[in-house]
This record gives sequence, C-alpha cells and structure tokens, in this order.
Amino acid sequence: MDSITTAASVVAAGLAVGLGAIGPGIGQGSAAQGAVEGIARQPEAEGKIRGTLLLSFAFMESLTIYGLVVALVLLFANPFAG
Amino acid sequence: MSASPLLQPDIDPSKGGSTALAKTPEASASPERNLNPVSVEFPLGSSEEEYVQLQQRLFLATLIVSAFAASFTAIFFDFSAAISLLIGAFAGVLYLRLLARSIGKLGRSSKGVSKIQLVVPVVLVLAALKLSELHFLPALLGFLLYKPSLMLQVLLESRIQAKSVSS
Repeated sequence: MDSITTAASVVAAGLAVGLGAIGPGIGQGSAAQGAVEGIARQPEAEGKIRGTLLLSFAFMESLTIYGLVVALVLLFANPFAG
Repeated sequence: MSASPLLQPDIDPSKGGSTALAKTPEASASPERNLNPVSVEFPLGSSEEEYVQLQQRLFLATLIVSAFAASFTAIFFDFSAAISLLIGAFAGVLYLRLLARSIGKLGRSSKGVSKIQLVVPVVLVLAALKLSELHFLPALLGFLLYKPSLMLQVLLESRIQAKSVSS
C-alpha cells in the first residue's frame, strides 16, 4: 500500500467515525434529556420510558456502529490496498 | 430544569449523608407538602419489572431470530458461515445487554449513557478481520440481527396499544 492510499484511508476512517457519531450523539443526548425529565415528572412510568429509550438508543447507535465498521475495514482490511 | 430549594439535600448522600430535606420555614409549616423523595410512594417495583420484562422479551426475540437465520444459512449457504452468524448474534445480544444496563443506570448512578457497549462490535469486527475462521459479512449481519427483533417489538407494542385504545 503506497503512502497516499495509507494517508487517505486513515483520514477517511477518522471522518467516518467522527461524522458518523455527530448525528447519533445529538439525538441520544436529546433523547436521554427527555427521558430523564419524563422520569422525574412521572416516576410511575419509569419502566415504559426506559424501555422506549432502550429501543431508540439501539436504533440510533447502529448508525455509529456503521461508521465504526467502515473505519475498521479501512484501517485493517483496506480494499484499495494494492 | 431548575431544582426547587426544597429538594436540596443538606448533606451529600454520596458521602453517606441522608437525603433529608433542609428545614425551611415553608416545609416545616406544611409537612404534607414535604417533597422528600424517600417518602413519595409510587409503584416503582412494577415499573422496573416492566423494564426487565421488556429486556427479556428483546433477548428472547433476538435469540429466536438468530436461530432461524443461522439454520437458514446452514441449509442454504455454508456451515462455517452459520457459525460466524451465530457468534455475531451472540455479540449482538451482549451489546444489547450492555446497552440496557447502561440505560438502566441512567439517572440513578450515572448522568449519561456509557459507551462501553461499543467495544463489542469493535472486538467482533477486529476478530472477523484477523481470524480466518470467522467470516466478516455473516458475523456483521449476525450482529445486526438485534434490529429485526427490535422492530418486531415496536410493531407488537404499537399494535397492542392501538387495540387497547380502540377497545
């Protein structure tokens, strides 16, 4: 693998993780804020709120995982390496 | 959210102090309005039980979907691919378990959701890339098998809610 491909792969891996984590990070933050506020207002609905939070977090975090997988493939099994 | 002065504990509970409220004139004048969280009685046990039951339903659904997908792969593709898919599915269940645990701690012992569960896909992908016995694509697809069970769960819950509203 030549140096330009290596450098581009490392930059692309960083961008994949970094940009891929922005959206889910914002979404998870606002979802957790809403859930904690909801639990504080209605403690009797804590189980339902936590369950909904678990489902939404699992869907949101998969976007981060996609970026993570792309970055790991670029770093450890680069398809563009000669 | 701004905290009421009545909710300010006089001693830090994390250092072994009590969560008893400060004796303000307002609180001592009307004891029934005392907002001490210890004295408030809600059916928290049933609520926590509901969350635990949801987790168990999710794990069970993920295992059923994984077993179905692994048997399908073993019959129509390759046995080693089915093993890789099963390993990925177990990693997905572990990831879901860690995520559920960190969400369960949210608001109680931690202020945010921890990211320790992201170690699981990283280790799985690295193992799939380094080990020749573990196929990359089946392991990744097996890991993502928790999503169909989540969708199934959401659909079932929305259908049950719609039925209860209509009846």
